[in-house]
Amino acid sequence: MTRPGPPSENLPTVKLVVVGDGGVGKSAITIQFFQKLFVTDYDPTIEDSYIQHTEVDGQWCILDVLDTAGQEEFSAMREQYMRKGDGFLLVYSVTDKQSFENIRHFHTQILRVKDRESYPMLVAANKVDLLHLRAVSEEAGRELARTLGAPYIETSAKEPPLNIDAAFHELVRIIRKHPQQEEKQRRRRKLFAKCTLL
Amino acid sequence: MWRICGVSKAQPVLFCRGIDDDFQPTWRLWGEERVDGAIYTVYLKKVRYHRPTRCASSESDDEISHLEWETVRVRFVKAGTVERLVEALATDDGELECTYVNVFLATYRSFAECSRVLDLLLRRYEALAAEDVLPATIDTSQQHRKTLVACLHVWLDTYPEDFRQPPHHPALQQLLAFTQLHLPGSELHSKVLQKLAIFSAERNGSGGGGGVCLAPGMRVPAHHTSAYRLPHVPHRHFAEQLTRMDMELFKKLVPHQCLGAIWSRRDKDRSHDAATVLATVNQFNAVSFRVISTVLVEPNLRPIDRSDILAAWLDIARELRVLKNFSSLKAIISGLQSNPVYRLRKTWALLSKEKSELFEELARIFSEDNNRWAQRELLMREGTAKFADTVGENDRQLQKLLHERGSPGVSHGTIPYLGTFLTDLTMIDTAIPDTVADGLINFDKRRKEFEVLAQIKLLQGAANAYHLPTDPMFDRWFDSVIVLDDREAYQLSCQIEPPTNPPKERRAKKINENNNHCHRKNDSIASTSSSNSSQFYCETDGAANAWKRDSLERRTSPTRLSHGSSSSSLPSLDISVSSANSGQKQPNGKLPATSPAHANNRSGPDFYIIRVTYESDCVETEGVVLYKSIMLSNNERTPQVVRNAMLKLNLDGDPDAYTLAQVLPDKEMLLPANANVYYAVNTAYNLNFILRPRKNQQDEPIVNGKARNKRT
Repeated sequence: MTRPGPPSENLPTVKLVVVGDGGVGKSAITIQFFQKLFVTDYDPTIEDSYIQHTEVDGQWCILDVLDTAGQEEFSAMREQYMRKGDGFLLVYSVTDKQSFENIRHFHTQILRVKDRESYPMLVAANKVDLLHLRAVSEEAGRELARTLGAPYIETSAKEPPLNIDAAFHELVRIIRKHPQQEEKQRRRRKLFAKCTLL
Repeated sequence: MWRICGVSKAQPVLFCRGIDDDFQPTWRLWGEERVDGAIYTVYLKKVRYHRPTRCASSESDDEISHLEWETVRVRFVKAGTVERLVEALATDDGELECTYVNVFLATYRSFAECSRVLDLLLRRYEALAAEDVLPATIDTSQQHRKTLVACLHVWLDTYPEDFRQPPHHPALQQLLAFTQLHLPGSELHSKVLQKLAIFSAERNGSGGGGGVCLAPGMRVPAHHTSAYRLPHVPHRHFAEQLTRMDMELFKKLVPHQCLGAIWSRRDKDRSHDAATVLATVNQFNAVSFRVISTVLVEPNLRPIDRSDILAAWLDIARELRVLKNFSSLKAIISGLQSNPVYRLRKTWALLSKEKSELFEELARIFSEDNNRWAQRELLMREGTAKFADTVGENDRQLQKLLHERGSPGVSHGTIPYLGTFLTDLTMIDTAIPDTVADGLINFDKRRKEFEVLAQIKLLQGAANAYHLPTDPMFDRWFDSVIVLDDREAYQLSCQIEPPTNPPKERRAKKINENNNHCHRKNDSIASTSSSNSSQFYCETDGAANAWKRDSLERRTSPTRLSHGSSSSSLPSLDISVSSANSGQKQPNGKLPATSPAHANNRSGPDFYIIRVTYESDCVETEGVVLYKSIMLSNNERTPQVVRNAMLKLNLDGDPDAYTLAQVLPDKEMLLPANANVYYAVNTAYNLNFILRPRKNQQDEPIVNGKARNKRT
């Protein structure tokens, strides 16, 4: 299952969660990323279907990807799995304006669950191969990402895939760059408390 | 009928009758074979050519008995045109290959229409019948036709819904014409006639509404105040009743509606294609929402009393574990882990150690770790077992529980959490292409999907082991619980325990500039200086509304409270963090909002929850009383309240075309056309309302009796 190369000692596990509306192609992104692993017989039910050793910027880690595609409408359990993620891929389809608008909602919900002001996230504009059906421009996407304070990437899971590995790797970088939050938050909280008192 | 092949990957699903259990054939992949319009995978199978008559324990003496083995060539359709796939319903020798037939019938809807398949099947039969003249082929031809008839039997028995096609049942009519011509008086012929009789009887009103799938929550008898109140409810009984509701939906679930091609690729306006799946999802959410709501709905409860409600839900969850109802079990755990409930640290801190452990142990079942291994493993072990008996080493509370109960006298079925299957099927659908080279239908994909569908079918069979009586009082309780939407739940939660880490005032004004709504909110915040969490929402208002509208459209569950799209319908749930006590529980199910008399914003949220029933002359709704809960804030006038109610009741049109009246014990109070409803309602009674189409323009609004403006 594992590719040759990764050192065998304890590697850090990074939990990535793929979120977005139904039909935006989340599962296609996930599958594309893991495709090289199940060349012949894909089985979605085995333990390590969505685990991969990956090298990003010379550092190895274990990527554990959670994609709940097909469960979008179990709205009540969304926050439950959000709690577990180290970083989030916010996926919308450039052919579906509604899915684009809902990104804000996911963003808000994640911050609320994490009780943080910011959290590692990457906005992925998917299905950019469908030029003639495009309903959300790149500018709109970048502007949204900017207001959410998250980087933006355009992806396509169709052959030949565009930026699929790059999206996951970029998210790992964002997580690594993200400051250890606990400390910082607490300090800010004090500061904030003072401000409101004044 | 089926054997599930679990996680085995190397072998195709080949189980069927004809292979004796004590007689394991050895399979070897030989290769692929291509013919016109089809690709086959060919296996070599080692079989005994006669049964050993000596001792049965010679199984291991392979070398000695090798003379009794021979190798047979077996081929399976890997891909093909629809025509070829239909032909393959009978094997080369004309035998029935029941695994293939089952896979085909369970999955064909993702690549062909019912009428097309039926047409091909019947034409195939006729072609075979025409060949009859050649005496050399007579035997296999007859065998072939026999097999095709057997397929039709299986199809009619297993998927009668395919033939419903109201109002004229064209497929069934076609089949009738066929049997009249080729098989008059046969068993198939009478089965077709029988089905036709059933369908037309249903159409003439004796049966229920055909494929319509009402969530149990849709059947609401009346406006009674419920006799149950958390936390003092019988846990076991609650668990049984939730299981009864789930079981009804699960048994009605049509497995092939879970297929990726149908569930996850469906258009939003074609959601009826997956109505039975949707009903299950709605019930799951409904249970979660009830957990969230019962924990939060009384903001002024003492923390210890609130933690008693958590404990009650955990006790119910524990009973669900014993009943092996993983759907409602997960729904409760999800509710408890939803942010508005989970963040109440002080409340959780008051739980006893046992209860906290129980929570951890139950939550562990649904861990997403290792591709939801814990859950899969549990389902594999207990799915068709008689009762719950699997616990982890570290599950102290569950060990204790199962020890206490011993092995129960009655056996239970199992209700799985459907979401895992839906994700698996979505992933299969994404990972494996629909067609292979030359556009042939990839039947191997269907085999893979069938492994999941067969598991669902197996569990559906097991669900028959439940024998649970209906308690109408429970249903009333279930429907009486007010359901909060995301925003309301979070705001109430913040009122109970203010956020320790309030988000900065970020970009609130920049975003959604064209959204009036947003500005309104800003204004109100400025004036009440309450919680900055509102501002947090502000920037997402547009998205959140659109989000809700979208999910509202697909929703069949009635009681979810949501404010939909209307821009001014948001209650000014401005939370005074310093909310005063005034917390007597009102008997009528409304929030213990403080009396409207204290309009000074310091006493609590200024809103009521009211229930609105729709009454029309339309016969369809007779005997079924639906009501929706809506939030009524202190600045809403009649047209707005009507609009909110219409939205919840899925009514279109002009709000002016409806009237709203409060139901009082002896009369109704019709609300004037532009009243401030909040102040006009009579709070001495239950806040039950009736929405009606306005009869004619002469109707003059009459305010009866006690409507009083409390703001004196």
